[in-house]
Amino acid sequence: MSAFHTTPADHAKGGKSKKKRKGKGDEPDPRIINLKSSMPRAVPAPLRFARNRALRHWTIHRAWLLFQRKEREREAHELERMYQSMHNAAEELRQTSGPGTREEGFLYRVAMEKKGVYGHNAVPIEYARPQTETPAREPWNHGWTR
Amino acid sequence: MSSCRRVARPLAQSLRQERLLQSSTTHFARSFSRSASRQDEVTTTTPPPSSTTPPPISSTTSIDQLEAAATKPRMQERLLDPDTTTAHWAERKLIRMGTPPVGSRRRRAAIRSSENVPFEQLPYQAFQEARKVLQEDREQKVRAIATELAKIKRLEDTPADQVPGGERKKNLRLASLRKHVQELKILADINDPVVKRKFEDGFGDMNKPIYRHLAEKKWRGMPCRLITQRISQLAIVPDVLPKFEPVADVQLFFRRIKVEPGEMIDSRVSEVPPRLKVQVFNAGERLVSVVVMDSDVPNAETDSFERRCHYLAANVPIGPDQPSLPLGKVDKETQLAVPWLPAFSQKGAPYHRLSVFILEQKPGETMDIAKLRELYSGRDGFSLKSYRDKFGLNPVGFNIFRTIWDEGTAGVMERAGVPGVDVEFKFKRVYSLKGEKKARGWEAKRSKPKYRGLWKYSRNIHGMNRKR
Repeated sequence: MSAFHTTPADHAKGGKSKKKRKGKGDEPDPRIINLKSSMPRAVPAPLRFARNRALRHWTIHRAWLLFQRKEREREAHELERMYQSMHNAAEELRQTSGPGTREEGFLYRVAMEKKGVYGHNAVPIEYARPQTETPAREPWNHGWTR
Repeated sequence: MSSCRRVARPLAQSLRQERLLQSSTTHFARSFSRSASRQDEVTTTTPPPSSTTPPPISSTTSIDQLEAAATKPRMQERLLDPDTTTAHWAERKLIRMGTPPVGSRRRRAAIRSSENVPFEQLPYQAFQEARKVLQEDREQKVRAIATELAKIKRLEDTPADQVPGGERKKNLRLASLRKHVQELKILADINDPVVKRKFEDGFGDMNKPIYRHLAEKKWRGMPCRLITQRISQLAIVPDVLPKFEPVADVQLFFRRIKVEPGEMIDSRVSEVPPRLKVQVFNAGERLVSVVVMDSDVPNAETDSFERRCHYLAANVPIGPDQPSLPLGKVDKETQLAVPWLPAFSQKGAPYHRLSVFILEQKPGETMDIAKLRELYSGRDGFSLKSYRDKFGLNPVGFNIFRTIWDEGTAGVMERAGVPGVDVEFKFKRVYSLKGEKKARGWEAKRSKPKYRGLWKYSRNIHGMNRKR
């Protein structure tokens, strides 16, 4: 028995504790009490406001909703803007040639490389999955035999 | 100082301090609505622009000034105001005069000792911050409306052959721009607490799009659902019109009694022509035609039901701000085609559905009343569908009540000069086509002579008659 055990010795024994369980009706299980106290089920009282106070409450509520909507829209707009600007940059790279004698689109390919993104010496996840956007030049080798 | 005044004093003091603070800084607490800020203020049709000075505050003076300046008769006069009185004798006198004091004495004391701060200037921080946010949004919306209106103006001024897409595209574009402006107008005002308060009090100006929008939203709640349910469950849609979707609110009153849609009405109540309250939710005045028809007139010869016109009027002007339409008070020469015939139902007939239809006429067209009289003064065999098709009408509003034979119907029919008071409809007895069955069961078996010994048990069973 551990030293932290606080149950009285006679209750800790098997036979006695069984008897205790049977006579449990007088007070509810402490686990239930715990649950009940931590998860109150009673519905909170409704807000009862007089006219002016209800209107003020409504005004504040509407302003809060409006603020949230504006925030959402602003964030979405910002994301869209960033995406567009990345897209434009990539397009610009794709159409430029160089540096030096490199052909058109070299910089784009380099920029799109994902070396190290998936870990050291790892393979991009796209290559481990069937590719749809970059199909092979010959989709199916019909002449293949074992 | 009475107890109620003592209670109200700290509130009054704090309010007064706040006022001083505010007025010393700036009048930032300006209403962003263009309507009157309080219901007791007078509403002008052309309100001043929002850059002018705020409306005058503190029409009632505070307690201290009041006590200092009060001469005896002025004080008495003041105490006879039902909104602010706290004196017992004044209350009793007001009750005797028929204008009882408003609210509790505590409330009245609070009102009296407060400076009459307009609602939108109440010094609550969250409220004022919220108002700032909403005000800013409203300004944005107003600016958007201005730019959209400029766009519309520009598009209207360019001839159609210079617009890409031609005349059709131009019209489409104009329509969608106008719709957008309407939406913006609603959005600009939808967050205004003053607008909400005015609408709830029923003081909303229905010529303004925001109040029409709020009214429509309210109608689309329960009343519209109720009416559409009545249309389907009382089978108005296949019986009277093949297709119908109401878009206007129609309320029906007989004298002072409001009729719920589909209610059974006593025939003495529906003897007089009803009063309609038609609330349309789109702008502009228009002419409507009103039809009341009975779609359950029993016909014994053909063993079926027919229809009858109880009332027909046309060219009745209706607008969003003039909803009242008393059917008894339409113009006899230019509007009334078929006068009111009281709703009645003969004895034994099932209930009659009397439906009230509001049909919108084509814009800018008046109907020929003489022709209507000639066509429909016979009343019987009226078909709403053919009426609608003949004159190009659009049914917008609907209400219905039902009537059945009751103790007053005979008198009503007599006064209206309708024959057939003594007619009673009866269902023909339909006999079963099956042959008779022999009696079966324990008792039937035991009542045969074979079981004569058991008759003393089986004879007096309830429901079996075997008297010998």
